[in-house]
Parts: sequence; C-alpha cells; structure tokens
Amino acid sequence: MSNIRDANLHSDEEDDDDFAEEDEDPRPEKRQKRAPSDDEEEEEDDEDAPKPSGRDKSRNKSNGADEDDEIEDLEDDDDEDEDDDEDEDDEGPRRRRDRGRAHNPFLDTMAEVDEEDELDDEDDDEMEAGFIAPGDDDEELRHRAGDDRLHRQLDRQNQADFAEDLEKVAAEMRDRHGGRQRHRLGDSSTVTPKRLLLPSVNDPSIWGVKCKPGKEKEAVFTIMKKVQDMKGTRNAFNIISVLERGQSMQGFIYVEARRQADVLNALTNVPNVYARSGMILVPVDEMPDLLRVQKRAEITPGTFVRFKRGKYQGDLAQVIDVEQSGQILNIRAVPRIDYGAREDLDGTQKRKRVVSAVRPPQRLFSEAEARKHHDKDVHATYGSKRGIFTFQGETYENGYLVKDVRVTALQLENVNPKLEEVTKFASTGDGNESLDLQALSQSLKASTDKYAPYQPGDMVEVYSGEQAGMVGKVTRVRADIVSMSVQEGPLRGKDIDVPFKGLRKRFKEGDHVKVMGGSRYRDEVGMVVKIVDDRVTFLSDLSMGEITVFSRDLREASDSGGMGTAAGKYDLWDLIQLNATTVACIIKIDRESLKVLDQEGATRTILPSQVAAKIPPRRKDAVATDRNGSDIRIEDTVKEIAGGENRSGVIHHLYRGFAFIHSKELQGETGGIFVARTNNLATMIAKGGRVASSGPDLSKMPEMSKKPAGNMAPPIIPRQGGRDRIIGQTVHVRQGPYKGLLGIVKDATDTTARIELHSKNKTITIDKMKLGFKEGATGKILSYAEFVQPKKGFGGSGGPSYNSSSSNTPSSGWSGSRTPAGSSSWAAGNRTPAGAHGGGGGQRTPAWAGGAGGDGGRTPAWASGSKTPAYGANDGSRTSDPYRDGSRTSNPYRDGSRTSDPYRGDNDGSRTSYGQPVGSGGRTPAWNPGNRTPHYGSGEPGPRDSGTAWDSGSKTPARSLSSVNDQWNDSYGNNSSTTARTPAGYNATSPEFSGGYSAATPGASGLSAPTPGGLNAPTPAPVSAPTPRANAWDAPTPGGPISAATPGASGGDNRRGGYYDAPTPQAGGYSSAKTPGAWGNDDEDDAPGYN
Amino acid sequence: MFFLYDLERTITLHPFYFGPHMRDYLIHKLLTDVEGTCTGRYYIICVLDAYNISMGKILPGSGLAEFTISYRAVVWRPFKGETVDGVVTAVSKLGFFANVGPLPVFVSTHLIPADVKFDPTSNPPQFSDNEGQVIEKGAHVRLKLVGTRSDVGKMSAIGSIKEDYLGCL
Repeated sequence: MSNIRDANLHSDEEDDDDFAEEDEDPRPEKRQKRAPSDDEEEEEDDEDAPKPSGRDKSRNKSNGADEDDEIEDLEDDDDEDEDDDEDEDDEGPRRRRDRGRAHNPFLDTMAEVDEEDELDDEDDDEMEAGFIAPGDDDEELRHRAGDDRLHRQLDRQNQADFAEDLEKVAAEMRDRHGGRQRHRLGDSSTVTPKRLLLPSVNDPSIWGVKCKPGKEKEAVFTIMKKVQDMKGTRNAFNIISVLERGQSMQGFIYVEARRQADVLNALTNVPNVYARSGMILVPVDEMPDLLRVQKRAEITPGTFVRFKRGKYQGDLAQVIDVEQSGQILNIRAVPRIDYGAREDLDGTQKRKRVVSAVRPPQRLFSEAEARKHHDKDVHATYGSKRGIFTFQGETYENGYLVKDVRVTALQLENVNPKLEEVTKFASTGDGNESLDLQALSQSLKASTDKYAPYQPGDMVEVYSGEQAGMVGKVTRVRADIVSMSVQEGPLRGKDIDVPFKGLRKRFKEGDHVKVMGGSRYRDEVGMVVKIVDDRVTFLSDLSMGEITVFSRDLREASDSGGMGTAAGKYDLWDLIQLNATTVACIIKIDRESLKVLDQEGATRTILPSQVAAKIPPRRKDAVATDRNGSDIRIEDTVKEIAGGENRSGVIHHLYRGFAFIHSKELQGETGGIFVARTNNLATMIAKGGRVASSGPDLSKMPEMSKKPAGNMAPPIIPRQGGRDRIIGQTVHVRQGPYKGLLGIVKDATDTTARIELHSKNKTITIDKMKLGFKEGATGKILSYAEFVQPKKGFGGSGGPSYNSSSSNTPSSGWSGSRTPAGSSSWAAGNRTPAGAHGGGGGQRTPAWAGGAGGDGGRTPAWASGSKTPAYGANDGSRTSDPYRDGSRTSNPYRDGSRTSDPYRGDNDGSRTSYGQPVGSGGRTPAWNPGNRTPHYGSGEPGPRDSGTAWDSGSKTPARSLSSVNDQWNDSYGNNSSTTARTPAGYNATSPEFSGGYSAATPGASGLSAPTPGGLNAPTPAPVSAPTPRANAWDAPTPGGPISAATPGASGGDNRRGGYYDAPTPQAGGYSSAKTPGAWGNDDEDDAPGYN
Repeated sequence: MFFLYDLERTITLHPFYFGPHMRDYLIHKLLTDVEGTCTGRYYIICVLDAYNISMGKILPGSGLAEFTISYRAVVWRPFKGETVDGVVTAVSKLGFFANVGPLPVFVSTHLIPADVKFDPTSNPPQFSDNEGQVIEKGAHVRLKLVGTRSDVGKMSAIGSIKEDYLGCL
C-alpha cells in the first residue's frame, strides 16, 4: 500500500501545480484588495499552511469560507462529476488557495521551491506589495531612478526587514502549527491522539466495488500486482490502497483514491471485479468502521453453536474441538436420521430430495434401527471406545452425530441455547447427566436476546462484580444497563446502574411466576419451589409437574395467570368432541396444540383446529349408573372395580358410558386423568349417602304436582295385625344396589324389612316395596302389595281409578286422565304430563308418579292395576303378570334402558308388524288399536275411538319421548324407570321375539315358555330394534292380556283366555301392557305367545 | 388464620316463597349458598348471623325478588408463611398433597428435608426418613405455607416441611 501511496503523492502535487498556473492571472488584483488587513493575512496563512501536501489538510478550520475551500479542494481533486456546482464559486476560493502557495516555503516544502521558481518570485513580489504601503512603493521607485546606493541600501534594508518579517511569520507559524507539522512529517516520536488520525473529507475517498463473492482476495492481489507493474510508467495508477473485508463484506473490495476515474482506471480488466456496475462511495464517518477488526467470538470446546443451513438448520451443536486453523470445528449434534427413508429408493439422487422434504425428528442414533433398515451401512468402530458407529458416511458417537464443519456453516453468536436443547447434550451415554449449567447460563447471558430480559419492576440481584449481593428493583433498562434502586443493605434507596452481565432475577420460594421467553415452557405458570443460583424450579399450575428454567426467563405472574395459548378457547380438562364417535378430555394445553385423552384411553396430541366441538359441561345432575346400579354423577368419587387398576378419583365428565376421572395419585402423562366405563366403576359414596339438599331449591318453584303425588305416593297397605306375614319369606330384591339378590326376611316394620341375603353374608334393611315375593304355588313374583293382599283390590286412591280404567270403564279414569279437569285428584297433576307424552305410557306414568317414590309408586301402582284387572277379568291379570316379569328381569331392564333410543324408533315398525299379524286374528287388529286404544278400549268398542286418538299420540310420541332417558324420567317420574326398563326388556327379548314373532301363533306356546335368556340378551335390541321392539312392545300388552286371564291364579290358561278375549284384554292389557313392557320377563313370555 | 368478616350477599328468591317464612328461606338459602365456599382468597367456614336483610326488590321480567343480606361469617384465610396442620391425601414421587381443611397443599420434594426420601416400593407409597417419620396417605403433617394461589372459587398452596418442627405429627 505504501508504495501506491507514494506514487500517488507525487501525482497529486502535479495536479495542484496545474491549478496554480491556471489561476495566475486574476491573482494580483485580488491580492491587492485583501492585502491591507494583517489579520486576514494571518488567517489565510493559517488556512493555507497545510496545503502543500494536499493530503493532510488543516482539520480545525473554523470559518465558512474555509469550509468552502475545503470542499472545493476535495472536489477539484477528486470529484469531476460535480464540476458544475464548483464553477459557480470558483473564483474566490481558488484565488486564496493559490496565494496560499506563496507561503509554502515557510511551512514545509522549502525543498520544492525550486520546482516552482517562477511562482515563488511572483509570490515574493506580492509579499512585498502586501507588506509595504503603496506610498512607500512610489517613493522607492523614485529613489531607484536616481540614487543607486540608496537603492541598494534600501534594498538591503527591505530585504532585512523582509527576512525579519518572514522569520517572525515563520516563528508564529511554528508556534501555531508546530505540532501538526511534526506529525505531518511523520518523523515524530510522540504519540498522536487517535482521533486526529481519523479520516476527514480532505482525505482520499474510499469506494466499494462489487466483485465476485469469494474472489475478493484474489482481486486485491491482482490489483496490487498491476500497480506494481505500472509504477513509474506514464500510466501509473492513482489509487492509494485496495482492501477487502472478507467475511463481513463479502462481494466487495474497497479502493482508496482521490478520484473515481482513478479507481475505474485501476480496475479495468481486473477479473472478477465489476467496477462498471456501480461503486459505492463510503461515507467519511464509516471509513473507520471499514477497517475495524471485529473480535470474533472465541470458540472453545464445549461452546454451543447452531447450524446455519442444511438438514440441521437451526439445530444446536456443541463444539468438541477446534482445528488449528480455526476454520473447521469438530462438533456433535443430535442426529436427524430417517432410517426408513432410503429403503425403497436406490438412487442416491433421490435420497437427497426425500431427506429435504421432511425433516426427521431429532433423535439419538439407534444402532438397532439403523441395522434394521440398512444393515450393511452400519459399521461399528471397535476400539478403546464403544458406541462409535459409521452410518451412511456419518460418524455417530454415543448416539450423537460427530462431524467436522466449517466455521462458516455455523452460527457462533446469539446462539441462545434453550435449556431443553442443551439437556439433549447432557447425557454422556453412561447415564450420567453432566451439564455445565453454569457455563451455559453464562453463555446465555452474553447473548443478546430479542426480548428484554429485565423489565422495570423486576426484582434483581447482583451476583458478581463490586456490587455483588445487591438486591433491588429495576427502575429502568437501557441497552444492557439496568438501573436499579437498591432495596436492601447500606445502599438502600440508592439507584445504581448495573450491566446485564452479573445480574440475575430474584425470586423467592412460593412466588407465582410465569415463563416469558426463550423456553419451551413459555407461558407456563406456577409456584417456585426451589432456587439454585439462577435456575428456578417451579410447580406448574396446570400440569402439577415441576419445571426448571433459568430465572431470566421468568417473571412474576399475576395471581391468576391466564394461558395465552393459541388454544385459548379450551381449558384444561374440557371435554371435546373429536368426531362423531369420539370424545376426549384435554389433559394438557400447549401453545399450539392440545394433548387429549380420548374415550378409549389413548392420548394424542391434536391441533385446536381438529376439535370438532367443545362439549359444554353437563348439568351437574347428569347421572350414570355404576356397576352396582348406584347413581354416579359428576364430581363423585368413584373407584374402578373391574377392568382397571383400582384407580380412584373424582369424575370430571360423564359421557355415554364413559367417565373421565381425575385422580390425584395418578400423575404422569395424563395429568391424573383416566377414562373408564361407568359400569366398571363403583361409587365411593356410602350407600344412599348422597345428600339430597336439605331444603327446597329456592330458585325454582317447587313442583306442585309432586305434592299431591307425594301424598299419594306410598300406597297405604293396611297392615293386618299380628306377626308380619312376610317374615321368613324368601324374597327378591327388586330395586337398589342389591337388586336381583335373594334373601330371607328376618324382621319387618311397617315399611321396611331386614333381609338376610343368600349371596352375601349380610343383612340389609330395605323398603318392603322393593321386594318381590315368590308365590309358593306358581313361582311368580309378587309385589309386597300383592303378597300381602292377594285377593283384594287396591285400597289406595290410585287403585280405584285404575280399576275403573282397566275394568273397561274407560270414561271415568282414563278419559279423566286425558282431560285433566275430569280426572280425579290424582289424575290432575299426572295426566297433563301424561297427556303430553301421549299414549298409555303417559297415563301410567302419571299413575306411577302418583305413587310414592319410584319404587313404591310403581310397584304398588302396578300391583293395584294388575290386581284390579285380575279381579275384574283377564285384563287385570295381565297387568300383574307383566309386572312380575319386569321385576324378575331387572337386569335386562338396564340394558334396555341404554338402548332405549332404537327402541322407540322402532315403534312404528313394530306396529306395522303387529298389524300384519293382526290381520290373522281379531286380536291383532284389536291390538293395534288396542295398543293405543286398548287402555280404554279394552273391553269396549267405543273406547277404541278414544283409544285411537290417544294411542296415536301415545305410542309414537311416547316412544320418542322415551328415547331420552332423562326426558323419560322427567315426564314420567317414577314410571320412567319402568318404562325405561320396559323398552329395555323388550329390546332384550325382542330379537328372540322376532323369532317368535314370525311364529306368531306358536307364540302362544311361547307364552308358557319364559325365555328369560332372551330378555337378558341386550345386544340384539338395537339390531332388531324396529320390528322386534314393536313386537316386544306389543308383546307386553298382549302379555298383559294373556296373563290377565291368569289373574293371580292360573298362569298359562289365563293367558290364553286373555288371548282370546282379545279386545277387552287388549284394552286392559294395553294400559297395563305398557307397564308390562317395562317389566321384562313376562313380556317375553307373553310376547312369544302373542306372536 | 380465622377471621370474623362482615360480608354481604345478594340473593334472589322465587316468588313462590314470598310469604311469612320468607326470612327463613332467605337465611336458609344464604347458608346453603355461602357456607363452605371459597372466594378465592378465603374460605367461608360458617355464617354466624345475618344481621341485616334488605327489602326485597322485584326483578323486572322474572318476578324474582332480590335481597341483599349482610351477614357475619367465620372465614379462614391461609397466609403465606403460616404454619398449619394437614392430612396427606396423595403421595407421589414429586411430593405429596395434603388437605388443610378445605385447602389442598402441595409439598414438593424440594421442600421436604433431604433425609426424608420417597419410597416407591412401599405400599402405599410414602416418604420416609427410616426413623419413624412416615408420610403416607392419611398421615398428619404440620407444614408451612410458602405460597398460596387463588383462582376463581378455589385456592391452592404449596407448603414446606423443610424446617424445624415441621413434618409428621
């Protein structure tokens, strides 16, 4: 460079000379004008002083003119493009500068004076003119003419004066500019302040020229060579220096020169340099930056870096070793291998594409996997170390990819490794976790981050430096300096400034914190349980898991931190619908995904967009039945008793047959949620322990209808004196948790009995109404009422009305039931609902409702009904039968209850089927109408009409209503259960029935044949649903009639009789029929018979 | 810590109950509504008395009447740093849960003395120092609340037994 510079210096001088000559003419005149002022003279000296060199000009000029001058100079020298501007004020400045040349000899270029003799002489003259008053001049001229001696004397004196003057001036100059002269001469040993070395506008400019990236160095050398070659020739280049900035400014070389033309000239025909495509003038203030050497981050083994591109782009890697050159790093990273990718592809070219299409996940190298797919590619390196493999050209050590990578392919700064990334490097293969968190946190701290780690209000602690131990609150953050007001210690209340380095956030155990940035756990909220240095462990509020993060990533959270998730619509433990058949419970919410547990017990991660719908929390009264038949509801504590692991927990959601249960003991990946079928659960609440709210619900109007019903509810069965008849009887439990069990009555009160169960060694106390009594002779199951008063009508208020209806006097009871007005007291409330629901079902319901609790109500009611018919005729008998049946088939009932839906749907079909059979016998038709009409119509034709009317409504609607269990329950009250059962029972049977059906008449034979098995079979129900049900449905009714005959006494015969009696029975049967329907067992019997 | 708070509650009553026993209904409703609930900051343990029941105001449109009842109640408010006794409800390797009255408290392993270790092999799982201190489900512990957290209608806390005189009772 220095060579170039010298050459240039020389040419520079020449330029200046040219200018001087050009401007010679105007000079004297102007000079005259300005001469008088000494001050000005000095000033001009001042400004002119540095000129001769042309390169190091005065740097502290102050007045405007001078600045102009500077600019002019610059432009003259370098910038030919801007000549136009220049021309405007060419005159003044140039004159001054030219005059300035006169003083050059005093300053530093005495040696050069010779070159410019001409000029100097002139200048001398001028000087004279300047220093001597005009008057003197004239006088001198006069003297010269006459007296030679005097002249000479004067000359001498003048010369002396002049010399003295010059000396004075020179001294002054030296005083003023001595220092600068010295350094300008470059021979000074004193150190010059750096700022004085900074380039100014008077220095040559630097142009950036585009070149081929990577060829910068080459270009520079080429140019240097050219300059050397041309040196001393006519075409020597006028450039001062050439440089390149390698990595930081790829594709540019920089040329220092005075004029752009020189640059162009020098760069012509230099390969890889595109001088013509435009060059950039580097602004003066950026020149120093151009030459600044940036300290490169020091790479030491253990440092973390990131891949810049390729398959591993963005992945973290750890430096194992640094090659001597510093250009290649030996690093290790977690490999991304797609073991199966190449299996079906043989071409290597294809492989690449596949690899880039989907980036395989980060996973440690697995020898087994690799061998499975590409056995021949795996080579183990046996040596001192184990666990080193070569696979497809890469080396894997302890599962990590080990590779030599060029520094340029790595990102060395702002790596900002995240804890979870770093932990992947923590295992050393022998299971030990060796992670230098200290070093890591330091490297983290050093990296500048996108978000400000400290915000006003944060509590921080200084842990290194002079102020270590200081605790305070951040008041201001500027760049990487934190102003904090000290909260503790002697400096309390003072504000101090601390750099980020050496500062950490301070938390206390129990603080509620939120993860802010840079971490996978972002937005997690939790309470701090442990603090070690700047690692904070907190317990997440959501997952109840412990999370460790750097304190820099934490902030104090407001007390109830909301989740700022993309999945914000959903809360933890919400129940969501994934598709028509799948629901799931959210067990974890991430920022962009949800982790759910579906009803099959599988966990999966889904996007919020995959959620079909959120299932709103069910009413609290959503109820399911557990394995023991007890109610379980949301928020009940239940235990798995079958098919599981005896887990227990609190029900969060009930959906169909599934319960989503939260167990505190069961942490782990599902966050304590598990799913179970409700029939594998048992409630942990003590039997009957559900506390009904102790008082009325004051936000609702109490249901008026219930009151009268309630009064009526427990059918009062007059008790005969003496020992209770039931003691010692073998009984069936027909309801409650012990349903279905046999036992012996040990003791009895008016309403309850103590029963010793056969199956369990246990004595229970149970409502008598929930018992079924086996009749000695027939083996039939009788209700308590029946048992106690076998031959009598029902004494209760319900009884009569019932009787009346069933006994073919439709007008009274039934009609009444329809028209509430007419109806008797009990009918009033009941009916309306009944009516609403439609057919017989409705009627019953109310009837039932009228009865006491579900249990008592039904049974007695039924009993009453059944008996009545029994008394009156076959009809009654039927009813009773069905009833009993029902009692037996309690299990099927449940099944049925589930499948209630299909059942109803089927009704229509059922009828039709019925109708067809009907055609055969008078009955059948009777049935159809009967089903509807039957109640009333039972015996009488007239009633039919009415019946039809109501039937029409009754059946279908009734069914439809029944479809929803809840609805049933609501509408029917107690009946609901019965109805529910009925369908169930029906369904159960139905399949079989259908079989029986086709065998219509044979069904009669079937009558006697109780196919309980069929009953129990729940499955068929849905399948056979429509027709069978119909059958089943009808079946009961018929059953009713059939049994009706039997009233108690004879079974099979009665039925037949009932059968024959068709119309009446139907009616009667109908009314009772539905009920029977509810009861499974007999129905079966009957149904077949019917069919 | 227990406090006696003067509180207020607005209660709406169905018109059905307008009548001579309205006051009883209101108080009944107040008790069922309020007792045993958590406001997020404290638990209302018991209502002592309702000392002022405002005149009812019929809500337009529904016919319900709105009453403002001022009542005095015993409340329990857990504080950070408070030492309390609880019953262990669940034990896992991360720590154990205890119920302090209505308040569920989690005690992390970090806040359990180092010599009390989790023993996963025992049944039920327990924390034990092998010197007779056994923390398993049902055990009574004394702990110190190091942090409380309130949500709408529920609270939770974390506790520590890593101090003198804390731990199994």
